[in-house]
Amino acid sequence: MALKQISSNKCFGGLQKVFEHDSVELKCKMKFAIYLPPKAETGKCPALYWLSGLTCTEQNFISKSGYHQAASEHGLVVIAPDTSPRGCNIKGEDETWDFGTGAGFYVDASEDPWKTNYRMYSYVTEELPQLINTNFPVDPKRMSIFGHSMGGHGALICALKNPGKYKSVSAFAPICNPVLCPWGKKAFSGYLGTDQSKWEAYDATHLVKSYPDTQLDILIDQGKDDQFLSDGQLLPDNFITACTEKKIPVVFRLQEGYDHSYYFIATFITDHIRHHAKYLNA
Amino acid sequence: MEGEAGEAPGLGRPAAAKDFHFHHTDLYDSEDRLQIFPEEDTQMRREVVQAEMTNEPREPMKGKAQRDLGEEVDELVHLYGLEDDHELGDEFIDESMPRIEVSEYPPYMMMGREPLREQRDWRLSGEAAKAEDLGFGAWGSAGQCQDLREAYRYTHGHASEEYECYVIPEEEDEEEATDVFCVTCKTPIRASEKVFDEHKEHEVTPLSKALESAKDEIHKNMYKLEKQIIEMENFASHLEEVFITVEENFGRQEKNFESHYNEILETLAQKYEEKIQALGEKKKEKLEALYGQLVSCGENLETCKELMETIEEMCHEEKVDFIKDAVAMADRLGKFLKTKTDVEISAQPEFEDQTLDFSDVEELMGSINTIPAPSAPVINPQAPNSATSSSVRVCWSLYSDDTIESYQLSYWPVQDSSPGKDGAAFTMTVKETYCSVTNLVPNTQYEFLVTAQNRAGLSPASECAVYMTAPCPPIIKSKEIRSCEEAALICWESGNLNPVDSYTVELTQAETPGASGVTESVVGIPTCECLVQLQPRQSYTIYVRALNVGGPSARSEPATVHTTGSYFHLNVHTRHPWLTVSEDGLTVVRSERKAPAGEPLPSDTRFTRCVAVMGNLIPVRGRHYWEVEVDECLDYTVGVAFEDVPKQEDLGANCLSWCLRHTFASSRHKYEFLHKTTPDIRITVSPRKIGILLDYENSKLSFFNVDISQHLYTFSCQLPQFVHPCFSLEKPGCLKIHNGISMPKCVTFY
Repeated sequence: MALKQISSNKCFGGLQKVFEHDSVELKCKMKFAIYLPPKAETGKCPALYWLSGLTCTEQNFISKSGYHQAASEHGLVVIAPDTSPRGCNIKGEDETWDFGTGAGFYVDASEDPWKTNYRMYSYVTEELPQLINTNFPVDPKRMSIFGHSMGGHGALICALKNPGKYKSVSAFAPICNPVLCPWGKKAFSGYLGTDQSKWEAYDATHLVKSYPDTQLDILIDQGKDDQFLSDGQLLPDNFITACTEKKIPVVFRLQEGYDHSYYFIATFITDHIRHHAKYLNA
Repeated sequence: MEGEAGEAPGLGRPAAAKDFHFHHTDLYDSEDRLQIFPEEDTQMRREVVQAEMTNEPREPMKGKAQRDLGEEVDELVHLYGLEDDHELGDEFIDESMPRIEVSEYPPYMMMGREPLREQRDWRLSGEAAKAEDLGFGAWGSAGQCQDLREAYRYTHGHASEEYECYVIPEEEDEEEATDVFCVTCKTPIRASEKVFDEHKEHEVTPLSKALESAKDEIHKNMYKLEKQIIEMENFASHLEEVFITVEENFGRQEKNFESHYNEILETLAQKYEEKIQALGEKKKEKLEALYGQLVSCGENLETCKELMETIEEMCHEEKVDFIKDAVAMADRLGKFLKTKTDVEISAQPEFEDQTLDFSDVEELMGSINTIPAPSAPVINPQAPNSATSSSVRVCWSLYSDDTIESYQLSYWPVQDSSPGKDGAAFTMTVKETYCSVTNLVPNTQYEFLVTAQNRAGLSPASECAVYMTAPCPPIIKSKEIRSCEEAALICWESGNLNPVDSYTVELTQAETPGASGVTESVVGIPTCECLVQLQPRQSYTIYVRALNVGGPSARSEPATVHTTGSYFHLNVHTRHPWLTVSEDGLTVVRSERKAPAGEPLPSDTRFTRCVAVMGNLIPVRGRHYWEVEVDECLDYTVGVAFEDVPKQEDLGANCLSWCLRHTFASSRHKYEFLHKTTPDIRITVSPRKIGILLDYENSKLSFFNVDISQHLYTFSCQLPQFVHPCFSLEKPGCLKIHNGISMPKCVTFY
């Protein structure tokens, strides 16, 4: 697994780098961004994975969210992968913005023609962490995950499907109940087929119901003026209700006046980094 | 070394003449040199120098040569055991004279100096030998010098033909020359001489040892002399003091005697005058009386005589006339004889025995050797810190050199109503010029005066001086102590009825392994409370003292402060009437029973509408953390508020408070974070213990679910004044506060 460095920029005393590698899971070249804080020069640091939303690449988060200062101060290695395989020449992968390229939905596809390449769940939970653990000064025992929108959904399912694997999880405007929203229905039927019972394995609100223990602290920020919230794509209330029933600790903050953009993310990114640092550096 | 080498070119040719100076400067460095080449074989070194000299140009060489020369001198010096720099220098200077003047050794001089000038390479040995010779010269033995000279000549002669060998014999020579001291002759000799010469039978010791013992001896003697000088100086100064004292004492005594003597003489002179005058008067009186008597006696005699004559004449007269006259005469005679003639002497010639009264003189005589009655003593003002709460130490002194047998010390408390003496005066007799007066009332002023007394009588009284007893120890209000990690606020009661000047707080770190055990003090505290700066996570024992001009009181009873977390009590003065606060000040209860009828009156300090109470947080701008134990079904509000938050409004309903309000209705929990605006926050797990972090530094107030380390919300709040924790119960129930605890790790991230 040869890593090819694409770029490296000094940022808040650390380095923001982008690498490219040949993914075994996705069978294509994948890029990912990684921020190495100053602390990483002298020792192993915790790893925090960021999953971006629809249409994004590894670039959006690192250039727009302004997370570097907080990550530098808390000494966190932050990894931001791409959102889907690219250049696989699958028919229809570039037809719409909410399916195919840039819309991997962090599932392992079971349907043709996607099942060969679209294995983003395995990529972000297995292949990428292994790659990072092998090649960078990170402590494999300390990792957390967060994301935005589709990536928020990805973060929640990764944490809920792997109890204990992640120390903490947080999300910005996550798609909380994809089974019931238009984006989710489109993506899941495409990647997972028509059997809706299979969808539930990738639905945060459903996963909560079978989550075994409560040692997971979930922070969710949601802009109140987010058009996708009013469009019924995100459905956070369903998730909160499920968590309240299961007594899974969630702090859900409905932020007055904020929308779905990276401006919203940038406003609260420091809170999220601190939320993870609290558990990763405990 | 480098410095000297650099100097060398400048010396040039005339260096030969300067050589001598060069030695001198060098010699003072001899100690260093010796350390640089402590054990080095001089022979070896010379060969090296020799080798260098043959290979290198002459001019730069000279520095090196001179340097070595210096070293050689040092070595020689070392071999002679003259390690003391000073001695060495002095000796060397002294010895230079004989060398120049010695005329018996012209060959040596020629040999020594000529090659030196003509052939630079020789300077090395030439100078070395010279120095050597000087060294011997020090002992002033001509015979030795002779030997040396011969040895030198020998080596020199060889050396002029062959460089390599000239040093070797010289080395031997040096070694042989140095070692023994003939004790019998008290002179240094060479070891070889011991065998052959007159020293054969003599006791010898190594020269260095002899020198050392001689030096020791001299040092010992010097030490003794120094000691003696010091003693003598001390004795002299002591004598001087005694001299002055004697002079003074006698002068005083003379003066005293003289005044007494004059007094007596005056008295006697006066008596003499009086007596003389009295005697004169008596004499005059007596003489006058006698004279009067004498005059009247004469008159009588005249009369008698006249009568006789008349009678005689009558006898010669005619009978007729006779008869006539005789009758008249008889009458006259009869009359005359009837008058009694006084023949008693009116004044006795003897001197009446008059006793002279010398009693007053005797008294004066007697008083020559006794002392006058003392003059009034001078009472000192109160010395700082000399009093306790029940005693003062009064001191006084004498104005003159009176002899005193005792003092009478009187005192009475100063009273505002009737200043000065009243009936309640106490008197005590003491021998010293000070007295510790005990059993006094604390923090009270007393007036003192003192009178001195001796055989001659009582002095006038001193001026009055006011002394004050120290106050009673204050009483720490242990229940009102508040603390945080950096400080504690200590409050106390004065413990004294009258005001005191100030208070002192003393604090000692509790006996822990790392504690210093040092007592720190905060002094000059004008009020009955003090904010003391402390170290985090320590235990302190705190005492308070009260102070006035008399001094500090005893320590108060101790109070203990732990600087772990922030510690406060609920302020019962702010308590809504429906609330009760537990004895420890950490639990607030709203009971089930119906509230008493009628709304309480509005108040600035007491909550009247909202059923709330405030905590007394220490006014320190740091980070404060406390926890509140709540019931999941209880309706409560917790947070912080300014002290002047409107007591008639709900907490969180204004800009002066920041609170988390929990309401539980129809099995739904509602958490609101109340200030001006209320953010929309949803919490899925109900906290049973709420952690509250007040951070003045970052202007933040954060809430936590302690059990699961969950951060709930953070207010950004501007806190220009200090805030206090506030607690309100909207339904019957209770809130239990946990404080004085360290911050959980998860809280430190906020």
